[in-house]
Amino acid sequence: MSFMPLAMVCPGEPVQVVGIRAGHGLQRKLADMGLIPGVIIRVMNGQMPGPVIIDLRGSRLALGHGVAQKILVKEV
Amino acid sequence: MAKEITIALAGNPNSGKTTVFNNLTGARQHVGNWPGVTVEKKVGSCSQGGYSIKVVDLPGVYSLTAYSPDEVIARDFILEEKPDAVVDIVDASNLERNLYLTVQLLEMGARVIVALNMMDQADSRDYRIDIAGLSHLLGVPVIPLVASRNKGTTELLDEIIKIAENKTKSARLKVEYGREMEEELTKLEKLVAQSKLASKYSPRWLAVKLLEGDEEVVKKFKEVKVA
Repeated sequence: MSFMPLAMVCPGEPVQVVGIRAGHGLQRKLADMGLIPGVIIRVMNGQMPGPVIIDLRGSRLALGHGVAQKILVKEV
Repeated sequence: MAKEITIALAGNPNSGKTTVFNNLTGARQHVGNWPGVTVEKKVGSCSQGGYSIKVVDLPGVYSLTAYSPDEVIARDFILEEKPDAVVDIVDASNLERNLYLTVQLLEMGARVIVALNMMDQADSRDYRIDIAGLSHLLGVPVIPLVASRNKGTTELLDEIIKIAENKTKSARLKVEYGREMEEELTKLEKLVAQSKLASKYSPRWLAVKLLEGDEEVVKKFKEVKVA
């Protein structure tokens, strides 16, 4: 099964976070909000321009496309 | 003359802090600015049981690291001003994410009351929360609220008074980080305990923050060395 950046995921399907390719600061910031490897998320809206909106543990989280590029996910 | 106590409202963004603030303070609140930063804090007051209670509404944060100004403000207020109680407003329909901040507050050594807000939403999602169990696990009082309908405010005020009068027994939660980490933390804690900072902050918290490489705490240690 292949991994892909969150920025490329189509809205609707649940995906699992497998890794975050970022520095300590961003990793920590995302972890604070519950975005860690293993968690299942769902893209709600990823249209350009505008943020990538995901459903994370029952709440919505808006991420910049740059950040969404750094989050690796796989299909579940 | 009524005895004065200060409490802080902390919690994730959108957990209902300001609603609780309004419930507690009624129409007597005024809005102020923290010096130097563009995040606002609100200060209000109310009285209960012979106490005059100063209520400080802190910015909503997900954690108490030192990355953004709002986090630093919330953290500094709790660490430096040492309020008599910190009311941690928790979204009951999103417990897992919200309790992360709760654990950070406890680790810091704050006197925490957990206000489990949005109980109606949790109910509508069929969440059954074991309030007594949660309170036992965390070692702090847990008060269910529906702030939007002003439910639970009296119970919360009673608990605030209890904690201010030191009537609440605290069996403070200690987060265990595993054997390897604990070995290092114990070593660090012993060293840190000899520093001047240990009289002001919990040595355990300082040790954890040093291991994390927390910039603000590292700065504090550098300042102490110079002084």
